[in-house]
Amino acid sequence: MKNRQYSVKIFEAEIEDDGQFIDFLEKHYLLFKDHLIHVTGEMSEGVERYLKEKPFFYLHDVSFPEGRSKKALESEFKMQEDLPSKEAYAKLEEECKNLSVDYAILKQEMQQELNGLNKKLKTKFTVIDTIIRSGRELKIDGDLLLLNRVNSGATIHTTGNLIITQVVEGALRCDGQFMMITVSPKANIVFHGVLVDNELLENKLNRIELKENKIHITPVIKKEINWEQS
Amino acid sequence: MGTVIAIISGKGGVGKTTATANLGLGIAQNNKKCIIVDFDIGQRNLDMIIGLENRVVYDMVQVMDEECSVAQAVIKSKVNENLHFLAASQTKDKSVLTSQKVEKLLTELKEKYEFILLDAPAGIESGFEHTIEFADAAIVVVNPEVSSIRDADRAIGILDAKSQKVKNGEEVDKFLIINRIAPEMVRAGEMLRSDDILDILNVKLIGKVAEDKGVIDASNQGKPVILDKKSLAGQAYSRIAKRICGENVPLEDIESMQQGMFKKLAGMFK
Repeated sequence: MKNRQYSVKIFEAEIEDDGQFIDFLEKHYLLFKDHLIHVTGEMSEGVERYLKEKPFFYLHDVSFPEGRSKKALESEFKMQEDLPSKEAYAKLEEECKNLSVDYAILKQEMQQELNGLNKKLKTKFTVIDTIIRSGRELKIDGDLLLLNRVNSGATIHTTGNLIITQVVEGALRCDGQFMMITVSPKANIVFHGVLVDNELLENKLNRIELKENKIHITPVIKKEINWEQS
Repeated sequence: MGTVIAIISGKGGVGKTTATANLGLGIAQNNKKCIIVDFDIGQRNLDMIIGLENRVVYDMVQVMDEECSVAQAVIKSKVNENLHFLAASQTKDKSVLTSQKVEKLLTELKEKYEFILLDAPAGIESGFEHTIEFADAAIVVVNPEVSSIRDADRAIGILDAKSQKVKNGEEVDKFLIINRIAPEMVRAGEMLRSDDILDILNVKLIGKVAEDKGVIDASNQGKPVILDKKSLAGQAYSRIAKRICGENVPLEDIESMQQGMFKKLAGMFK
């Protein structure tokens, strides 16, 4: 089925006096002849005959539907989608009753889960430039870029990725996708609950990541070559 | 207005009290009015090291509780008239201190003295927190060993978190004294190097003091080692005191300092 939408312009004219009305149309014949005219008011036989003979395209006393813009239509569609019909609600509620689950609780749980997912999606990123001294415990929700030392006796937890550019002597707990750590023989590093052997961090900057349930350590910046010694 | 300097270390036994006594005397020798206050309530030692134990009548807690005036409690040093001393209470414990009392006492002292040195207790409990609360600056004393450095690091962390000056958005100046350095051990790589300590603590170095057996004898006699002009530790404290008074004294490199002439000669014939 073919479909098309037109926007049409219509002249509206009210009949107050038959003679005047006919005079007016006669005068502006050229202007009106190819347009649709909406005639309101009382239509006498003479006028009707005149309109048909000329001929004019006309409609008499019609009520037009109110047009809406595309945006208004879209929001109306959305509202309809958002609000399930009362019948649908009733049906859902009945189904839930059959399953012996409270519909309200189910809905609340789903909302909570959605919120949790939303939170996870929002990447939180923190940059810290101060020295992390002994006794300090940092709990970071999200990613952390630390541009200073972590001293012995300090602890850092992150739920996201962790990059530290200076020596670490304290404890690190990271549950993100990766960490980047310099050579840190005194650090206590736990990545996803697994203790990382410090001896494996032999390069200037090392990347520790979890791939297929295995911890991989790859160099980011390799050892500095000491030309004098070699 | 005087400057309040807290002398802290975190760990005990690294030489806080010795440093306080010597620096107090050193500052007094530079013709500045200085008072040293023992904040180690219940375990006072400063009176003995400065040789004034038999002169203590009133203590700091009695001043705070307004049982006597500051002038009554303050003791003048026998060695230098610019040096005054306020003793800690030996019978009470740290819980008697409150922020208001400490602030009142320090405001009073600030009007009378140019330098107020506070000998902090070891540890990081309430006594320590009260010592650093109203300090304008802090001198951190460490020994070149890991446990002392970790404890000092913790103490600096608390200083940076709880000091009144930090709460007002300012920064407490922190200076480091590395005490009891054994140059031979450092040279042999058996002791932490000063550079490493500075890297870890990230505090400005104000002086290094070599291990010196004379310190123990001097403390036992109640005559601070700074009075012994030949002592290495005494000379070091004297230089640090000058730096505190604003004089520009270059830092001595104790680790690589030449041994005495005779030792050197003896070494040649070994």
